[in-house]
Amino acid sequence: MTLSAPVTPETTTPVLPPGDDGGPPRRVKRGGKAGKQLRAGWLTYTILAIFTFGSLFPLVWTAIAASHSNARLAQSPPPFSFGDRLWHNLDQAWNTANMGKALFNTVFVAGTITVSTVLFATLAGFAFAKLRFRAKNLLLLLVIGTMMVPPQLSVVPLFMAIAELGWTNHLQAVILPMMVSAFGVFFMRQYLVQALPTELIEAARMDGANSLRVVWHVVLPVARPAMAVLAMLTFVMAWNEFFWPIIALTQQNPTVQVALTGLGRGYVPDQGVIMAGALLGTLPLLIAFAIFGKQIVGGIMQGALKG
Amino acid sequence: MTTHDSSAAPPVEGGAAPGRPGRAAESPEERRQRRRSWRFRMDTKASPYAFIAPFFLFFGAFGLFPLLFTGWAALHRVRLAAPNDMEWAGLDNFVRLMSDEYFWNALGNTFTIGVLATVPQLAIALGLAHLLNYKMRGSNFFRVAMLTPYATSVAAATLVFAMLYGRDYGMINWALDLVGIDAVDWKSGSLTTQFAISTIVIWRWTGYNTLIYLAAMQAVPKDLYESAALDGASPWKQFLHVTLPSLRPTILFTVVVSTIGATQLFGEPLLFGGSPSGGAQNEYQTLGLYMYEMGWTNFNLGRASAIAWAMFLLLIIIGLVYWAVTKLASRGTAGKGA
Amino acid sequence: MRTTPRTRMTRRAAVGTAAMMLAVTACSSGGDSDSNGGDGDKITLTVGVFGQFGLEEAGLYEEYMELNDNIVIEQTSVQKSEDYYPALLTRLPTGSGLMDIQAIEVANIYEVTNELSQYFVDFNDYDVDTGHFLDFKLAQATNADGKVVGLGTDIGPMGICYRTDHFEAAGLPTDRDEVSALWADDWQAYIDTGKEFVESDVDAAWVDVAGGVFNAVVNTYEERFYDTSGEVVYQESEAVQTAWDLAMDAAESGITAKQKQFEAEWDRAIANGDFATVSCPAWMLGYIQDKAGDAGEGLWDFAHAPSPGNWGGAFLSVTEASEHKEEAAKLAAWLTAPEQQARFFAERGSFPSSAEAVQAPEVADATHDYFQDAPIGRLFTEAAEGIPTLVLGPRDQVIQEQIANGLLAADTQGLSSEEAWESTVNSIENALAD
Repeated sequence: MTLSAPVTPETTTPVLPPGDDGGPPRRVKRGGKAGKQLRAGWLTYTILAIFTFGSLFPLVWTAIAASHSNARLAQSPPPFSFGDRLWHNLDQAWNTANMGKALFNTVFVAGTITVSTVLFATLAGFAFAKLRFRAKNLLLLLVIGTMMVPPQLSVVPLFMAIAELGWTNHLQAVILPMMVSAFGVFFMRQYLVQALPTELIEAARMDGANSLRVVWHVVLPVARPAMAVLAMLTFVMAWNEFFWPIIALTQQNPTVQVALTGLGRGYVPDQGVIMAGALLGTLPLLIAFAIFGKQIVGGIMQGALKG
Repeated sequence: MTTHDSSAAPPVEGGAAPGRPGRAAESPEERRQRRRSWRFRMDTKASPYAFIAPFFLFFGAFGLFPLLFTGWAALHRVRLAAPNDMEWAGLDNFVRLMSDEYFWNALGNTFTIGVLATVPQLAIALGLAHLLNYKMRGSNFFRVAMLTPYATSVAAATLVFAMLYGRDYGMINWALDLVGIDAVDWKSGSLTTQFAISTIVIWRWTGYNTLIYLAAMQAVPKDLYESAALDGASPWKQFLHVTLPSLRPTILFTVVVSTIGATQLFGEPLLFGGSPSGGAQNEYQTLGLYMYEMGWTNFNLGRASAIAWAMFLLLIIIGLVYWAVTKLASRGTAGKGA
Repeated sequence: MRTTPRTRMTRRAAVGTAAMMLAVTACSSGGDSDSNGGDGDKITLTVGVFGQFGLEEAGLYEEYMELNDNIVIEQTSVQKSEDYYPALLTRLPTGSGLMDIQAIEVANIYEVTNELSQYFVDFNDYDVDTGHFLDFKLAQATNADGKVVGLGTDIGPMGICYRTDHFEAAGLPTDRDEVSALWADDWQAYIDTGKEFVESDVDAAWVDVAGGVFNAVVNTYEERFYDTSGEVVYQESEAVQTAWDLAMDAAESGITAKQKQFEAEWDRAIANGDFATVSCPAWMLGYIQDKAGDAGEGLWDFAHAPSPGNWGGAFLSVTEASEHKEEAAKLAAWLTAPEQQARFFAERGSFPSSAEAVQAPEVADATHDYFQDAPIGRLFTEAAEGIPTLVLGPRDQVIQEQIANGLLAADTQGLSSEEAWESTVNSIENALAD
């Protein structure tokens, strides 16, 4: 099943002119962008504002819920404004859930997974996009086919293997199975097949560069925007991964999502604390979005799959 | 075997050092170059495999074994608590699926939720991308804001939505009440529950798809619009006749990715009702959820594995259909491009 | 000494994969400290619990660590039992990722005792006094060979919690003895009182949900879903039929609030007094107190159920995989000893599973000030004496959940009794089939 067929970009987008200095060729095209762009009217702003509100509201409400007591949350109508227990609930969630260690672990896990996924996906994506080798199409199909394996059931055999290795409750148990991603390979391949002018590689070859140098000096600079996007997608995904970590890890050495499962402690589950936990688990990503938002979004802008 | 037909097509391999024409006899310079060219050929031949090797090594270790194990388990009677204690069952588990009303129910639910979640999601994303493509103030703010749902974990998102959708105390029914609509029981009944779950999926993924579309739109060459404008095409016509055709590959990509995601939908329906039965009457039990119920509530690993493989095969069939459709479609629009 | 039968094939496959993974990852250990390592000569004991277990909150670990300064106790808690038990099941056959002590819910104790006992130690092999437990509790954790795999922490003798303000407004008596007398020995009278109640103009339902009625009634019988020979008999059992009919009566006469138990909405319904009665095991009192908050103080009281049953309760088991079985068994025995159970009740309201603890004055004489000083010690003790010795089976939980689902569909979607029953039987048969 050549899923690649529909998304193969060569069929539509005209081949880019090679950048004359070997820099990212994209810019050449971006030049004339301003020209005839349509201007947004009030209707546009209104629609966008509504959707922005819809995007942000559940998050804001999570914060509101996290600032109230169990008894207040149980009343009707639900609270619309912030209460006075936000710090108390956050503190409670932080302490009962082993959050300090969980955050450290999660940054480490998600960071490692991100670096390796992006690196390996770029290499493989480049090979699939621009190099010629035997069984290439078959192998690419295999990669895409692996995206279709339903992840839940891998848990049992995977855990048997992990246990055999004595890795239960160790971070490598959640890192190693996620070190590569078929989506990533596919993503990078789709980008590079179109964004990386073959002439650039040939020119580098002419100058006597070996494969590694080609990757370093030609592929990576071109691939950077897509790598940034893939990094963000992977990091967020790894951060929020839940199903496998809760089996492989325990709360003695948790990731954020595992730690959060221990929140309903005390005599009675405290909704406010649980919401505070949900907030704590999301907040670091939101802060990162706020800080790097422009770069991340900019990266997506440049690097998204055009084809 | 490697003949250098670098003139024909892009392939880089072989296009490098070897074939520099027009040099006379063997000079030391030449010899060095030839040695280098030998190394080059080795390099170009081996490096593709080296580049893809890490993926396949990791996949072999952590993806293939589970897949094969699951396939093997699907042919056995085996319980979760003793996964090594297998009793051969042949194709029983698969045959049973054919007449398993819960399986077909789950398949139907997966399909309807998939459609309910994917179609509006991609349509809204396309529309929003179009709007965001206008020249405006605060465009970065809008873009980042729309991406925030993606950062929210399924667990956190579903937790909030489950509360918003409460029958007696949820904010959505409260708002409906304000405009005179009676309370809706969002947690029972096929249509309402499936709608509610679809909105969670839509909420989390629309922004992400919006930005992908937006990026693709920005890459559409401007002269296409200019010439369309010269022909007197309205903005709407331009969207229809310039933007959409240019975006077709991207749209297909998002459709493929969304389809895979929808078929494997699991976290939202599980957490929405808090149980793998997906509603009192399995109103929103998806295939992923049914598999989970079979494995982790009924502890029947053999039957659960069969469901997993059925999902796997189903996706492959869908893949084939897509492939056939796009083949036909691209034949229809003539074979431009190499 | 794991005794799992392993087929050669899978073992070799697992080892092969393991070797491959090692090769791939030679130097990538983001590893962390060993959970079982002790600092100095201290021994770390780990306890895995689910939900609102309360041993830690009651200060029992702290006290034990003070008494035994070579022991450090670490607890791992998973909020939902539905997350906890499957993870435990996945880990047991591998002997990996397990705590020294694992809590087991009563719904799972049959399977653990009879089908998974090889993964747990026999408390008879250690110097543990099991004589003080209530007979039925000990019997539940003892298998045919006499192996004792679990020590009971608490039980859930049931009564009825009710809102005195609603009762008063509807012209019903409010005194707890009079209320008990309204439906003594007669569940139908309980439902009929409910019908009377909703005809008054009090803006509340009688009971939370039909499944709650079923649950309360079915647990007053010895034989529910299995008979003593281990056959699945839920379709014929008197317990199920009686409980089902009563629950359907409640659903069809519209006296339920149609709130699925333990959802956020149910919590709010409690807080707002949306239903006047709810079946109340001992551990539910604290739950109601917390959810209803200050606003509900003095509005709730507690009466006997028509007939007593048991809902919930747990056990502590020591895993074979533990490196400190001796110490773990000692800790489990201490945590479930009569004195600690009595304290556990005083702190948390979990009713003791130890016959000795039940007689301790801090249990027998206990009252609950949130429930208008109800003499809960006396009431629960009386209820506990009437708890039948349930006949358990391996799939009790699945059967019970599917019945609850069927009743919920009848309750919220108006299915008839026949439709709901048919759908329930279908689901159960599908779940039980190999």
